[in-house]
Amino acid sequence: MFPYEEASWSVVDGPMYMLANTSAPGLFTLIAAAICVVVLVIGQRSEAEKTKRFDK
Amino acid sequence: MGVKNVEEQIAELVAQVAALEASSAGAAVTNTMFAETFYYLTIPLMIIIHAGFLAYEMGASRLKNVLSSGVKNILAFAFMIPTFYFFGWWVYWGFPTGITGTAGPAGISGFEYASAIAFGWGESAQYMGPNIADQASGVFFGAFAMFAATTASIMSGAVIERIQTVGFIILAIVLGSFAWVIAAAWGWHADGWLVTQFGVHDFGAAGLVHAVAGFFALGVLINLGPRIGKFNADGTANHIAGHNMPLTVTGLMLIIVGFWGFLMACVIVPGESWSWFADKPATIYGTPITLSALSFNILMAIAGGIIGAWLLTRDPFWMMSGALAGIISVASGLDIYFPALAFIIAFSAGIILKPCADWLENRGIDDAVGAVTVHGTIGLYGVVMLGIWGSGYPALQGVAGEVATINFFGQVVGAIVFGLCGFVPGYFVSLLLKKLGMLRIPHGAEIAGMDIVKVPAAGYPEWGIDAPNTPAE
Repeated sequence: MFPYEEASWSVVDGPMYMLANTSAPGLFTLIAAAICVVVLVIGQRSEAEKTKRFDK
Repeated sequence: MGVKNVEEQIAELVAQVAALEASSAGAAVTNTMFAETFYYLTIPLMIIIHAGFLAYEMGASRLKNVLSSGVKNILAFAFMIPTFYFFGWWVYWGFPTGITGTAGPAGISGFEYASAIAFGWGESAQYMGPNIADQASGVFFGAFAMFAATTASIMSGAVIERIQTVGFIILAIVLGSFAWVIAAAWGWHADGWLVTQFGVHDFGAAGLVHAVAGFFALGVLINLGPRIGKFNADGTANHIAGHNMPLTVTGLMLIIVGFWGFLMACVIVPGESWSWFADKPATIYGTPITLSALSFNILMAIAGGIIGAWLLTRDPFWMMSGALAGIISVASGLDIYFPALAFIIAFSAGIILKPCADWLENRGIDDAVGAVTVHGTIGLYGVVMLGIWGSGYPALQGVAGEVATINFFGQVVGAIVFGLCGFVPGYFVSLLLKKLGMLRIPHGAEIAGMDIVKVPAAGYPEWGIDAPNTPAE
């Protein structure tokens, strides 16, 4: 994790992203993946709804 | 025999030292050539942004205005280069500490310094032209001139189909060679007062390029007014479709391509006398950055923006605008965002994009391509987002505890200053042009179409001069 109290890059020798070495990056990854899945589900539903109108 | 051995050993050592010196000199030359080539290649990449703006704005114009929109873009690009050479580059180095022009703590700012390196005459002319001992000034100038041209072109799309050419060029010069340069001097320079005093961090210029340009465009649009037929008597808005959506969307994709050059040029390479470090790349603030960080975060931001915009609109124009908005929303912190977080922020930018554009339109602003929203609103959103997520990180290279750190208040101050740097000159210069009769083309010419009025060529000659029916007809 970034040494916020020292607030210096000189002691960082590895991951430089926010909240490194915490569980946050994994949580962000999970949320991003969930967004992709949810968007696809919503997209499929709405597209199916629209295409049905042309089947009648 | 023993003496000979010592002599031989000394000779060997001398030879080794000479070889090491030659090797070191070779490495230095290689690094200098690498550094020069690095920035040189960002220039054609950024010119692709202008190919994109050209296609995007011509596609978004109706048939009767397609070439005049293109002429406007080409001419703005042409005027941006010499005006940035004449005074824009000087402004960047002269104003970081404020309007007093005093030197800052890093010693690379102030009127005296600017006059020593960034004027095309006198002693400083040696840094503003071919110089066998200077392999940096030209490529730095070139990259910054492309930043300037990009900033001016952002405003360009908002005002299509009714602005006068010369009036537009004057506005482009004010924006590209002065307004954003002031913002850059204040917030994108080691001596910038926003950086040193408030901890403003805007690595990829979300605020100092995009927000400045977006709010400059808003100031102009207030005085320019909407296109004929855009709004009905009851205030409701009509959609004025451009003549070629595929061209517009392709243009937007080209802008995305060019962004890689833009953001690459925001990196300070190592190993030169002007570098922050001998062995590692840095941001313009001297904080760590890698091209890998950019690759991770730019790609995830493009994806997040597109997906967010698709979810809400299903419209390819807004999807590609979402890609731009995605990058802009995380541009301030591309150096330190985690890619998945960049994706989430960009997704949120893609979601809010169209509602923000609609909000503006409902207030009588005819922004033909959504530039105020994509660049202005989302630019500020990106600056503030970094204040939420990146607080506590150093805003600038320096001794721990002595340099400012990124903080929410500082980012908000930065966002406000960047917005004003754009809006104030945009509004007042366009108001002056309006008073002088140089802002908007006459009613009849707008109805007839700007191509037939002022362009001695036809975009699609086989189609004749009849524009498709639109509310403006």
